[in-house]
Amino acid sequence: MNSFLAILRVLCEAQVRFVVIGGVAASARGLPHLTYDLDICYDRARDNIQQLAAALGPVHPRLRGIVNHLPFCLDSAAISNGMNFTLTTDWGDLDLLGEVTGIGGYKEVKTFSSNLTLFGLECAVLSLDGLIQSKRAAGRAKDLLTLPEIEALREIGIRVKPESGPAQTPSDDPDSGKHAEHEESD
Amino acid sequence: MDRAQRDELIRLIASPPPGSKIAAAKEFGADLTLLVSMLELTPTERLKRLADAREFVRELQAAVRNSTHE
Repeated sequence: MNSFLAILRVLCEAQVRFVVIGGVAASARGLPHLTYDLDICYDRARDNIQQLAAALGPVHPRLRGIVNHLPFCLDSAAISNGMNFTLTTDWGDLDLLGEVTGIGGYKEVKTFSSNLTLFGLECAVLSLDGLIQSKRAAGRAKDLLTLPEIEALREIGIRVKPESGPAQTPSDDPDSGKHAEHEESD
Repeated sequence: MDRAQRDELIRLIASPPPGSKIAAAKEFGADLTLLVSMLELTPTERLKRLADAREFVRELQAAVRNSTHE
């Protein structure tokens, strides 16, 4: 089983409310770029934080990029007291974001997403419009480097509408999602 | 994506409308044929390809590490 599937399954089975963002969202939408971690934006409502902490417990989340002996436990209190977490787990690297630059919290991010079927799981995935908005706002060199391709991909979607790929269910059609409300006029 | 859409897409990236985002990406140096390949896949297939590429890079890095230790 690949690590993206493993983590998505853990989150979906626990009914955690989240949106797939970042490089995995971009890949799912058609961007041919390599990424090593799964980024999600999670709902910071209390019940969801509890579900998230409980779901991730069995995959042993640890803070990434710090000395190993620092004590850390990703429980509800830790998530409530923090916002964004860069983690490594038994199934690979996972970034939890309470807010996405240029968009906002989970509720706003959700409106820039639509459901895709990923490995048989229905997942909310950030739209191309959402990716463009967040990357423009982040303004980092690595984000700006991917913008031309994402914008081209979005334009292709408008002109040819092939983004959903072959043999997809209606829920795989990103154009059917709420992100259409946020179409930008360039 | 059906065959007609694929053909339309290939024509579009070969000769993008001047001033379009597609033209800008091409000028930027993006390999737009890779977009076509990705768009022919389902989202799950795209992530499988990503996972495969990631695994390949990891194996490659491990091989390089091992070869330098020999």
